[in-house]
Amino acid sequence: MFDFYVLTRYNLGMITEEKLKILTESAKYDVSCSSSGSGRKNAGGIGNGYVSGCCHSFTPDGRCISLLKILLSNDCIYNCRYCPNRLDADVPRATATPDEICELTIDFYKRNYIEGLFLSSAVCKNPDYTMERLLLVVKKLRTEYRFHGYIHLKGIPRADPLLMREAALYADRMSYNVELPSERSLKLLAPQKSKQSLLEPIKTLALQQAQYREEKKQGLFKGHFLPAGQTTQMIVGASPEADGQILRLTQALYLKTGMKRVYYSSYVPVVQDKLLPETPVGQLREHRLYQADWLLRFYGFTVEELLAEGENLSTEYDPKCAWALKNLHLFPVEINRAPLDTLLRVPGIGAKNAYKIVEARRYTKLTFEDLTKMRIALKRAKHFITCNGKFFGAENETVVRGLLAAAETTESAEQLSLFSLQSNPQNALIALTGQL
Amino acid sequence: MFYVFDGSIQGFLTAFLTAFSDPNAELSSREAQLPLGLTPVFVQTQPLRAKKAAERLQSFDKSCLHDLDLLLRGGESDNEQIAFRYLRFLANAKRPVKDRLAETDVFNAVERIKRVGLEIHRFHGFIRFMETASGALYAPFSPDNDICDLLLPHFRARLPQYPFVLHDVKRKKAAVYDGKNVFVAPLPHADILLSADELGWRSLWKEYYDAVNIPSRERLKQMRGYMPARYWEFLPEKQP
Repeated sequence: MFDFYVLTRYNLGMITEEKLKILTESAKYDVSCSSSGSGRKNAGGIGNGYVSGCCHSFTPDGRCISLLKILLSNDCIYNCRYCPNRLDADVPRATATPDEICELTIDFYKRNYIEGLFLSSAVCKNPDYTMERLLLVVKKLRTEYRFHGYIHLKGIPRADPLLMREAALYADRMSYNVELPSERSLKLLAPQKSKQSLLEPIKTLALQQAQYREEKKQGLFKGHFLPAGQTTQMIVGASPEADGQILRLTQALYLKTGMKRVYYSSYVPVVQDKLLPETPVGQLREHRLYQADWLLRFYGFTVEELLAEGENLSTEYDPKCAWALKNLHLFPVEINRAPLDTLLRVPGIGAKNAYKIVEARRYTKLTFEDLTKMRIALKRAKHFITCNGKFFGAENETVVRGLLAAAETTESAEQLSLFSLQSNPQNALIALTGQL
Repeated sequence: MFYVFDGSIQGFLTAFLTAFSDPNAELSSREAQLPLGLTPVFVQTQPLRAKKAAERLQSFDKSCLHDLDLLLRGGESDNEQIAFRYLRFLANAKRPVKDRLAETDVFNAVERIKRVGLEIHRFHGFIRFMETASGALYAPFSPDNDICDLLLPHFRARLPQYPFVLHDVKRKKAAVYDGKNVFVAPLPHADILLSADELGWRSLWKEYYDAVNIPSRERLKQMRGYMPARYWEFLPEKQP
């Protein structure tokens, strides 16, 4: 097959394994890893963008590695209660030099280990100093190292807006984390950050991006300004806000700032603090929030349709199912006639399958068997559709509820285990009897 | 009747014409897989007829030859037959049929095409280069489908200054970019002299892979779903 031989000499400029370990472990709870949205071209040098994004590896926790996710430093002057790098914490500290980060990025990229860099930092000395250092890295990477691959840069709140604007000329995507879903929680858990200091840069960048886009159209501006837009992240479960409140904030961010994505990071207690819950938030909650987030972005739902402000998402059913069960009078819909936006609201039918159905039905009247042949999962959907007027679901609402809860547990058994069955023994019973 | 052709696109198109009106036609490029007791028809490739068939098929659906190319690259034994049934369906319909997924012939072909496309996308991510002493990059891999040349444009666009070799060790062939041109060549075996830093970067990568994982949230099934174990052989991060 192939044999290889090695020369022995080590590059002295290489970052040490220990430093890499510290700076990676401090960065890993950041959720975002997406490398999509930028079509930056190779203009001499190395790398380019990949509009659809590209995963390079997957870790045993099931997450993808797309970007080299690393902190420039974990030496922080802030004392956010939930953060493992906070000032008071007794953890090993490290700071990388800009060249160490640049070389690491280039050499990983060249070997196709990564799609680009996700650079963040603890706040060292002061916000301006930190932002300057981050800017230095991305500038160096783009100009000296001539790197055209993907760069996601985390913004430092309260840093000079001019630094932010300049960084946006080099990065593909920037993110300022909302951190916590309410001002009150911020005051309690991250006293040095305020809602204003976190939201202001997001709004400013959105405005500037629109301006640059306009200038680009008119040929006045030739470079890039955040081609992949902005994202943000909030921690769920460290503070008491309900899903309804969280998703209202999400919807506002999507509508008002053109945010590309909101990430939810379920709280993991890496730090012991009397103000913080001791138990981690189940991944089910995070999962449900993402499902609802998808409904807002791709399925034409508004948060008001899904749940009230003080309400949490159902654990039994996915949010679309829960919505459909509340609106049973709208179902069943006829698969051969229902418009696309109605099909998108049928539980179990995803966006891709909805489009498939709309295309395929132009040529033939689709039957239940046709849908099966097209590998459209009907476990949930069959209770909400008719094919040529024929209905294949369960007639009785109670049975439908039970079957749906059962479908949920078998499909994502790993995530939910017996949790949702235990939480409602009645459903478990219906699920069993309903299937007989 | 069984029709056997040489595996090329032209060969396929000739066989396609020959077998077109035979309702029980089965196409294959591999003689060995024929059932016992059947006498196959060996189809001699006829470039002119093939060209005519190609033009006619393209007049129904512009992208169908591209689809055919992907189908014939598939790793499964019935690819030729699935391609045949799909193109025959297209020829009878005389218009694009790709959206008609309720038709089994269409659905099967679309699924196969998707599978090849998915593997190409996956290897955009899963290719692992090693740096050789000369600075050229070398990546051995073993894809399910015959796709090494289809990866060339992607890597050439992002690494224009690095000559590289994508070595399909299963099919003993390589897609090569020499810094200027790209070509495909047979390559049964390669001797590689690694650069001085290669093992250093590789162990840094493994360190990174371990450090970025959150052990308390193990979801191995998910990981294997996205990154099937058959691809691990050439991923340094999955080596001890």
